[in-house]
Amino acid sequence: MRSHRWYTPWILVAPAVIWTVVFALYPFLNTIILSFTDTRALTGGKWVGIENYSRMLGDEQFGNAMLTTFIYVIACVPLLALLPLLLAMLVLKQIPFISFFRTTAYFPVIASVVAVSLIWMWMFDSRGIINETLQFLGVTDAPLPFLVDRWMLLAVSIGLTVWRGLGYYMVVYLAALANVSDELHEAAALDGAGTFSRFLHITIPGVRGAMLLITALIAVSAMRIFSELYMLTNGTGGPGGENSSLVMVIKQFGSGLTGQVGYASALSVVLFLITLVPLAFLGWIQNAGDRTPREKKQTSRRKAGATA
Amino acid sequence: MAGFTRRRLIATTGIIGVALSLGACGMGGSTPASTQGTGSTDSGELSGEITYQTWSLKNERFTPYFEGLVAAFQDENPGTTIKWTDQPGDGYADKVMQQATASQLPDVINVPPDFAFSLAEAGKLMDLRKADAEALDAYTEGGVQAYEFDGMEGSFGYPWYLGTDLNWWNTKAFTDFGLDPEKLPTTLDEMFEQSKTMAKNSNGKMFLMSSAPGIAEFYAAGSPLFADGEFVFNSAEAVKVLQRYVDLYAEGAMPPEVLQSTYLGNSQLYLQGKVAWTNGSASLPKDLAEQAPSISEVTVPTPRIGTPPLFVQGISVAAESKNPALALAFAQFATNNDNQVEFVKLAQGFLPGTKLANENPESFTDAIEDPNMAEAAKLLAAQMPDAEVAAPVQFTDAMDTYTQQQITAAMRGDLSAQDALDKAVKYCNDNLPS
Repeated sequence: MRSHRWYTPWILVAPAVIWTVVFALYPFLNTIILSFTDTRALTGGKWVGIENYSRMLGDEQFGNAMLTTFIYVIACVPLLALLPLLLAMLVLKQIPFISFFRTTAYFPVIASVVAVSLIWMWMFDSRGIINETLQFLGVTDAPLPFLVDRWMLLAVSIGLTVWRGLGYYMVVYLAALANVSDELHEAAALDGAGTFSRFLHITIPGVRGAMLLITALIAVSAMRIFSELYMLTNGTGGPGGENSSLVMVIKQFGSGLTGQVGYASALSVVLFLITLVPLAFLGWIQNAGDRTPREKKQTSRRKAGATA
Repeated sequence: MAGFTRRRLIATTGIIGVALSLGACGMGGSTPASTQGTGSTDSGELSGEITYQTWSLKNERFTPYFEGLVAAFQDENPGTTIKWTDQPGDGYADKVMQQATASQLPDVINVPPDFAFSLAEAGKLMDLRKADAEALDAYTEGGVQAYEFDGMEGSFGYPWYLGTDLNWWNTKAFTDFGLDPEKLPTTLDEMFEQSKTMAKNSNGKMFLMSSAPGIAEFYAAGSPLFADGEFVFNSAEAVKVLQRYVDLYAEGAMPPEVLQSTYLGNSQLYLQGKVAWTNGSASLPKDLAEQAPSISEVTVPTPRIGTPPLFVQGISVAAESKNPALALAFAQFATNNDNQVEFVKLAQGFLPGTKLANENPESFTDAIEDPNMAEAAKLLAAQMPDAEVAAPVQFTDAMDTYTQQQITAAMRGDLSAQDALDKAVKYCNDNLPS
């Protein structure tokens, strides 16, 4: 006896399908289509082929944003993949008041990025506490232009991102570290392995999965960085727009009544594509690491057979 | 019965799905949900409902005014309903853009001239000259002209309130660092000279000038901005002005933050006591009293150097309004002389957009109790006839951002003043709508 009609499953999945189509698939496809047009916010547009994409090649703003984004990823990935792990190992120790420190380390995560950025701006401006301290200690004669020099501002912004991210990724590592067996550490110690050796050969392999996930998350969020740079440059992108991120450039072109929606869409598509690169790379590493020794042997045997 | 219910369920799900899709795509038709009725009845009486949108004016000071305005209109015109909404200050351009693209622009809407230009260009605003040419005679000429655009026939907004700003000086800083507060700068030459003196005498602890120049400064110095359909502010006059700022910054007579401050950054630095000069409207004494009382006591205003800027806010009517007669009537009511005078009594320091009120300024300045604000209001009223809208309506936010980026890059020494303005002008012209 049939318990349901053929369309019952379709009805059950309909809300999810409608939600996905309307709020995810349609905007995504629409963005791709718009990227091949010269659409403006109010006046519509026409098909221009790959003109928006070729325009990027000579667009100084896009070039600056790509460099900023690239540096952000290069700096943030190692810092945020390692420092939270060290912090997690530190707060894992059973010493008095460790819960207090563990909680405190998480505070920057729950603080508003806007409020925190404003505080950092005050700290690093020409009369902020950092410059005043440096001058008081005689390290510098004049204030350092932390917020107007391209590289200093980028360093401050990366510092802010790392500071805010430490607590969050620390929690992820704490969960991962709970699965690293103490017996392994004890056995290695008995065999004469030092602290660094155990960290390298036991702790890191033990949290490898979490580290890969964190690396992917950091790479993607660093590519889409906006709030820190926007706040620290007061929304200007810095002199010459050199501290604009890709998202800031997209906002600059796409927003407002005269927004160049077509070009902003093309920039968004490029951002999406470059976001796939680290994800694909990490996926490849993950797959390579997941293969058993037997599978690896079979692969190398197949390769040897092919060359013979 | 069960099968029938399921069929209905499928149909309902399908309808909801289609409605959601169309709604999300902004394709759900152009009928604003809030506009009903046909405007005037056969007897000429107004009827129905419209929406009225203001910009960042819903607060303790202004809400009672707008509620009273709406109630007064509805009392005069029984059978009409005005639904007043207010949008937050941030992101207003994006909000209006979303409303316009979804054909849901409020029937009566508060927009500045540059917004009105974009909306009129897209056919979203009613031509008020065509609708009622005589009514425009009641408003100031400059205000009306701000809503009439080259190459576009018609008038697209009733001037509502006008503003300009003043110079504000911290006289204590002048005394402390060897300058005479009785001889405040009245020309750009004096301004640059005194800026150098103050920075030198204070060992870089206090500055006078704290903002990078923009196209308003180039215009004030006599540079053309827009001619024959393209931007031309890379003129010799503009280069000369920018070069002076470049030199001043190189001499250390401006704070480093000047390279990334927006317009409000100037007044923020003043409120923080980091600079001795800012420009601002007549409401600055209120901010000073609340945030920096010690600076408030030593602050004095003077008229702007060069051509003072003119800021205009107006009321426009949506071209797609389903109740155009009522929308037009309410727009005229909201901007009539009496209502404008009552409004600027609250928005102290601003001037009304009607001719009658400007001929009798005491009708709104008498209401100002704070002596500092009253003095500022008098200065503003005296300066208003010379004030001009500097930025062309074609100058978008993105163009402004890019231009400021090049100007600050020149001040940092990355490129010459001429190259910076050439790059900015090229960008602006390349990004003009074709």
